[in-house]
Amino acid sequence: MAAVAAAKCQEVREITRIERIGAHSHIRGLGLDDSLEPRHVSQGMVGQLMARRAAGVVLEMIKDGKIAGRAILLAGQPGTGKTAIAMGMAQALGMDTPFTSMAGSEIYSLEMSKTEALTQAIRKSIGVRIKEETEIIEGEVVEIQVDRPATGVGAKVGKLTLKTTEMETIYDLGNKMIDSLMKEKVQAGDVITIDKATGKINRLGRSFTRARDYDATGSQTRFVQCPEGELQKRKEVVHTVTLHEIDVINSRTHGFLALFSGDTGEIKSEVRDQINAKVAEWREEGKAEIVPGVLFIDEVHMLDIECFSFLNRALENEMAPVVIMATNRGITRIRGTNYKSPHGIPIDLLDRMIIVQTSPYQEKELKEILKIRCEEEDCEMADDALTVNIDDVKRVYSLFLDENRSTQFLKEYQDDFMFNEIPSGLILSVSSVSVQIQDYIASYNNKCICDNDQQIIKRENRTMSPQKRQKEFPDLLRTEIHSSFFRKKEISSRSNQSILSSSRRQ
Amino acid sequence: MAPEEWLRLIQNATKTAIIQDGKRKVHFLMEDGREMVEEYHLQTNVVVRRAWKEKGKLGQDVGWKVEIGDPEPRQSNIEIYGIEESSSTPFITRRITKTALEWRIRNLTYPQNVYSVTADDNTITVRTTNKKYFKKIIVPDLERAGLKVEQDRISFIYQFNTLVITYKKPPALLELERKVLDEILQLKARKDGDVQCPTS
Repeated sequence: MAAVAAAKCQEVREITRIERIGAHSHIRGLGLDDSLEPRHVSQGMVGQLMARRAAGVVLEMIKDGKIAGRAILLAGQPGTGKTAIAMGMAQALGMDTPFTSMAGSEIYSLEMSKTEALTQAIRKSIGVRIKEETEIIEGEVVEIQVDRPATGVGAKVGKLTLKTTEMETIYDLGNKMIDSLMKEKVQAGDVITIDKATGKINRLGRSFTRARDYDATGSQTRFVQCPEGELQKRKEVVHTVTLHEIDVINSRTHGFLALFSGDTGEIKSEVRDQINAKVAEWREEGKAEIVPGVLFIDEVHMLDIECFSFLNRALENEMAPVVIMATNRGITRIRGTNYKSPHGIPIDLLDRMIIVQTSPYQEKELKEILKIRCEEEDCEMADDALTVNIDDVKRVYSLFLDENRSTQFLKEYQDDFMFNEIPSGLILSVSSVSVQIQDYIASYNNKCICDNDQQIIKRENRTMSPQKRQKEFPDLLRTEIHSSFFRKKEISSRSNQSILSSSRRQ
Repeated sequence: MAPEEWLRLIQNATKTAIIQDGKRKVHFLMEDGREMVEEYHLQTNVVVRRAWKEKGKLGQDVGWKVEIGDPEPRQSNIEIYGIEESSSTPFITRRITKTALEWRIRNLTYPQNVYSVTADDNTITVRTTNKKYFKKIIVPDLERAGLKVEQDRISFIYQFNTLVITYKKPPALLELERKVLDEILQLKARKDGDVQCPTS
């Protein structure tokens, strides 16, 4: 039993390893319970309860098909989980609802116009559920034979023998199919289906004839009858394609192979009109069903006024998807104009939106997120590693520059840099890394005050809004934090004794 | 489908004909948008090839599906789809003669006495007693003439690794084929050069 459990464990490991670890790969859903109440830590989501609940309500409306043609805006400071919420929504919607994710700046491509890029994004987010006949192979595996070249490189050659109660056929296998058969751990005695067009393998279970083999079969092994009749059958399957895919298939210049290369270019509006008419026809005949999906535009303040007015109109279309946007900007200039507007979005579009606010994470939540990330990235961290102590900061201080020191450094040595003939007065750019380090140090400074015994007394004001911080700790403005930090450093290095006084105590 | 229906479909289709390589080639564009090509032998006026242009539901081109005659040479696209029948598996081709419909299943390497060919639920079913080969053959010609598959018209013979199934044409089918042929012989056929067939 233990061996079986160990084998199971191994299996899970392998699968997670294949997936790339991205910044949001730990998100598996919104983490809501059945009554849409957010659980504090669930499915990779932590905190952000109000926003998650709001997203959950929106999600239910999307599932019911009731909210098509609206827009939702996720607004909040940087690093407050806006993208994570959008990803969670995508995961919770499941495979069948199209979800397109794009960054606002993606529309500025040299290959196609802004409106074309937006139209494609919108059409990628509208699904058409359609019945199609496909050829599937359904049978019991008699034998799998894979020959690897002796040298270890080069193509593998494979043969798969399948049978039904009536017949038996040998198939040649391509490389990809061999790999996916290996990944699915298909072996003799399994009953499988293979979609001939897509190569998708589905394991139905083990054949009854093998039920008495003395194999170590898990308790969840399903036994099924060996299929009857012909191996290859035409089956009607319902699947969802996006309008964009239909566009590409039907645009004569590209052909459907363009779908694989991703290079689709611009699509003529006549083609789109034709497709729209065709889809409407199918819909009336009951052959197809429209599934409005979700279009997620991150960094939406990067869109300019033309895009916004285009979106405004596109949202009125009867086949519009739900548009979710995210921004971390406050009142800022609308790109392409001189007007300022909340989130850099014109007021008329804002009026159509439901705004969901995300708030900064509390320290406890940050720790929780760090733990989840550690698990995801397979690195172990001791509990005390989650709290930063002075030594760590010292080490970081010696390794990286913060903003102030970087500015100082540049002021002193700017003559040695390239292009120093450009008139000064321009703001010197600071690398984003040093900004982050500086943020880190600042937050640390805000958070920890050391007393005589070098014990860390934590104070949670990192996550306060600047206004509040200013009100409560008027002396803790950023510049002062830094100067106080330098002072502390001097004291500690000079007198080997680390009695530090916070700027507040002074 | 009633026989009149098929005849009407042929009559109303946009037809283009050309005589090439001793064959009368006819392209049909049906009213419902389907495309069919037939090739008739000049001397015998028997169909030697019939193919349909298949289109996917979403409008993608799938290629020609050969109903009668030798299949198109297969190109290996095993790396695209990942799986295909081994070259040693049996495959089926169709022919038509003046009096019969014929199927040839090649690559059958099993002993002579294992085969049985029966007519059930309007298809011709090929079985082997050793459970190695099984095929339900749909007969589109009979369907178009609105006829059922009858057991006593079926005969089969096995030789040279090939199973030849012969189905004697019923009188109603012969009648329909004659009417369609009349339609086609009336067409003015060009003798040479390239013909542009309408496709939509």
